[in-house]
Parts: sequence; C-alpha cells; structure tokens
Amino acid sequence: MHTTDNHSRAILTLAFYWGSILLGMILPWLLLLAFEISAHQRTLAQAFAYVRLHFFTPGYNFFLIGILNAVPFMIFSVFLLFHLGRTPVQEPAFFSRRMAGVLGALLLMFGVSFWTHVTTLVHPDAQGALAYLFLPLVLTVLMPLGYAGGRLVGKLWTR
Amino acid sequence: MTQRHIWLNVGGLIGLVVLLALVYWRNTGSRAVPGLIESLNDADASVRIMATEGLARIGSPAKASVAGLLNHALHDANHSARTNAAAALKTIDLLAARQVMDAYLPALQDQDVQVRRAACEVLGSLGPVAKPAVPALVKVAQDPDDLVRDRAVRALGHIGIPGPEVTSALTRALHDRAFTVRHAAVAEYAFSTMASGETVAVLTALLKDEQKTIASLAQIALDKARQDLKSEAATLAYMLSGNGAKDYALLQVAKLGPNAAGVVPVLIQTLKDDVPLHRYLAAEALGAIGPGAKEAVPALTAGVNDPDPVVRRSVIEALAAIGSAPATGANILPVQ
Repeated sequence: MHTTDNHSRAILTLAFYWGSILLGMILPWLLLLAFEISAHQRTLAQAFAYVRLHFFTPGYNFFLIGILNAVPFMIFSVFLLFHLGRTPVQEPAFFSRRMAGVLGALLLMFGVSFWTHVTTLVHPDAQGALAYLFLPLVLTVLMPLGYAGGRLVGKLWTR
Repeated sequence: MTQRHIWLNVGGLIGLVVLLALVYWRNTGSRAVPGLIESLNDADASVRIMATEGLARIGSPAKASVAGLLNHALHDANHSARTNAAAALKTIDLLAARQVMDAYLPALQDQDVQVRRAACEVLGSLGPVAKPAVPALVKVAQDPDDLVRDRAVRALGHIGIPGPEVTSALTRALHDRAFTVRHAAVAEYAFSTMASGETVAVLTALLKDEQKTIASLAQIALDKARQDLKSEAATLAYMLSGNGAKDYALLQVAKLGPNAAGVVPVLIQTLKDDVPLHRYLAAEALGAIGPGAKEAVPALTAGVNDPDPVVRRSVIEALAAIGSAPATGANILPVQ
C-alpha cells in the first residue's frame, strides 16, 4: 500500500517539477502566439513564424523573455522536488499539506506572470521591457507568500 | 522518492539550463551570421529585413554577409529590403556601401519618379558614408516632383556632411512650396542640425507658416539654435566616451564643425576604434573642425595607412582641411 502511494506521489512530484519549469518557460511564448493571432489577425502558422523570427533579435529577444520568466519557476521546482520528494512515506497528511502550499505558490506565481505578460502585450510602452526584468524578482518574493497562503487554505479546507 | 532520484532530476534541470545557454550562444553574436545569411534568401520580405537588421547590429564580424547584402541592396524586389540592406552595409563594409551609392547615383536622373524617389531613400539609408552623393542630391532637391524633393531633403539630413553644402540645401528647402519638403527641412533643424546665420532668419519667418506643425517645429529649431555650442560639444564628447549612440554623436560633432574643437582629444581616440564607420566619422569630424584640430595631425598621419580605403580617403581629406599634407608614399587606394 505504502509502495503504491509512494510511487504515485513521486509521479505527481515529478509532474509538478518538470511541468512548472516548462510552463514557466513557454508561458510568455504561448501568450505571444495568442496575442499575435487575436490582436494582429495572424494565422497560427504566421504567428509561429513571427515569434520564431524574433526569438534572438535584439530589441525583441523572445527567447530571453521565456528564460527570464522560467528562472523563479526553476528555483521553486527545486524546492518542491526536495519538499515533496522527501515527505515521510508513513505520513500521508504531511504530503497533502505540503502539496497545498506548493499549489498555492504556483497558482500565485503563474497568475502574476500571466497578468504581467498580458498587460505588457496589450499596453505596449517604451519602458515595458522593464517588466520582464523585474518579474522574476517579484515572483521570487511571492513564492513564500503563495506557499504560506496555500498551507493556510489547505488547513482550513481539511478542518 | 529516493535521494538518488531527486538528485538525478536536479541534474536534469542543470542539463536543461546548459542546453538553453548553448542555444542562446549559438544564435547570438557573430555565431548567428550563417543563419542570418540564410534568412536573406527567405521568400518573406519581413524575414529578409529582420535578417539585414540583425547583420547590421553584428557589424564588422558579419563580413561574410557583404555579398548577399550587396545583392539585396541592388536587386531585391522589395524596396524596404533594399533600403535596409544598404543601411546594414554601412556598419559592416564601407567600401560595399560606397558601391551601393555608386550604383544608385545614376538612378537620381531616371525618367521614372518612383525610381528617383527610391534612389534618394537608399542613398539616405547609407547615412554619412554617402557623402560623395551630396552634390547630386542637392540638385535633386530641386526636382519638379514634390516627393522626390522630400526624399532628397531627408537623405541630405541623414548624410549630414559636408555641413555647409547640406545646410544651404536644407535652408533652400525651408522655402519650398510643398508642405512635406518644408516639413522635412524644418524637422532636420528641430531635431538634428543646429541652425545659424541666414537659417535663423528663415526659421523666424516660418513661425508664421500657415501650417501649424511647421511653425511649432520652427520654434523648436530656434530654441535649439540658442543652445550653447560649447556645452553641446561637451555633451557629445561625453556620449563618445561611452559605448552607445557613437554614430549619432560623431555625426553631430561633424555638423558642429569648428565649434567642436573641444572634442578633438576624444576624436583622436576614436580614430583607433575597431569599427570602420566610427573611424571614418571621426576623420570626417576632424576635417569639419579644420585648423582647430591641429593636435590630431599625428593620429591622422598614422590613419593614412588605415586598413579601410574609405577611412584612408577621409583621413587624407581631413589632413588637407586642417592644413597638413599627408606624408608621401601613403597607402592610398582609389575609392569608388
């Protein structure tokens, strides 16, 4: 019983670990694609070509935007790997509580990241690029807050 | 999860980071040149334009792209792609940029107005490198077609040197019957060239222009003309000591002429710059300063053997303007 639980927890942990890293990286690119399709009336193929063309172009650097966005998610994914991966097998409640904290942090981080990227695209500004530089710092600060919030909500939920 | 599993996944993340860094390194700087050269042949004009802009930012290390860019500057079906390719060449190879200039000069006399307009735009995109085209553009600035005159005036503004010839053409354009031509000329004085003497009087008259845009630009130009030239030169010297906007600062120094004598020490340093365009512009600026740049003579004499023939020609002209003949036996190759 413990072995089955342990296996499914490991799979869940790894899904969160790699999922948050990859989604953190491709979120800005997905939003750019969606923006090009909706705001500039491009087809998916045209939007894809546009994003690919500007990936490494100075002044656009879509590749770097994705990497910058992924950095806080990489940091958090390492934390969640150790945090969830080293939960004592004989304490299933521990895992649930920790998972609630991890979910809280990820939801807050993805929410803020999504909102920032959408706002920067919809309201372009000469200083807009600064948002891409400050966003990783903001997300890093939000990590513990989101985690604490998630733990609190988890505790209230199971009460 | 076992400790081993956890560390294996952390190792996987480190591997991913290394892979991403490699992808970035492979696609930036001079490593991106082969890919950008390939993109020059793309069927989509916007891809070709983006590739030329990328090559222009790389500058001299993109020398392998000169043949391709030259071909696009002369033969691309898309006008913007031709203009962008020409603009890219000036940062990569001055001699190739001069070849483009030579190829487009006859087009200024073409019967077709579209061809004359396009030729003016390409010559303007070459910036100060197209200085030998100034006399031809000054003539075209009196073309019967409004848009040709407009493009010619804008091209003269972009080239900017030699100062006196460009200034007199721009001042004439301030009287033009066409709004677009007057606008192009007054905007040049408002944002780039410092007005003086006769030009100030013409700009003052333009304050009563029926077009409000022109009147307000004339006011900006007059305010700019009241600026202290020495402090302007000091600002430009500061800009030159940094890494950004060197082309702009050097052209502005050249436009200031003898008033920029205080910038000479910085210009002497710029004569040793790695970028041929910067060395060319430094020599042009020293020539524009004239006898006030005497202390630059030893550096200019050394510049007579510059590896770039366009820079060498400019250095010789600068020495002549300062009043010092270049040493005999200087390695002077003909420049087209």
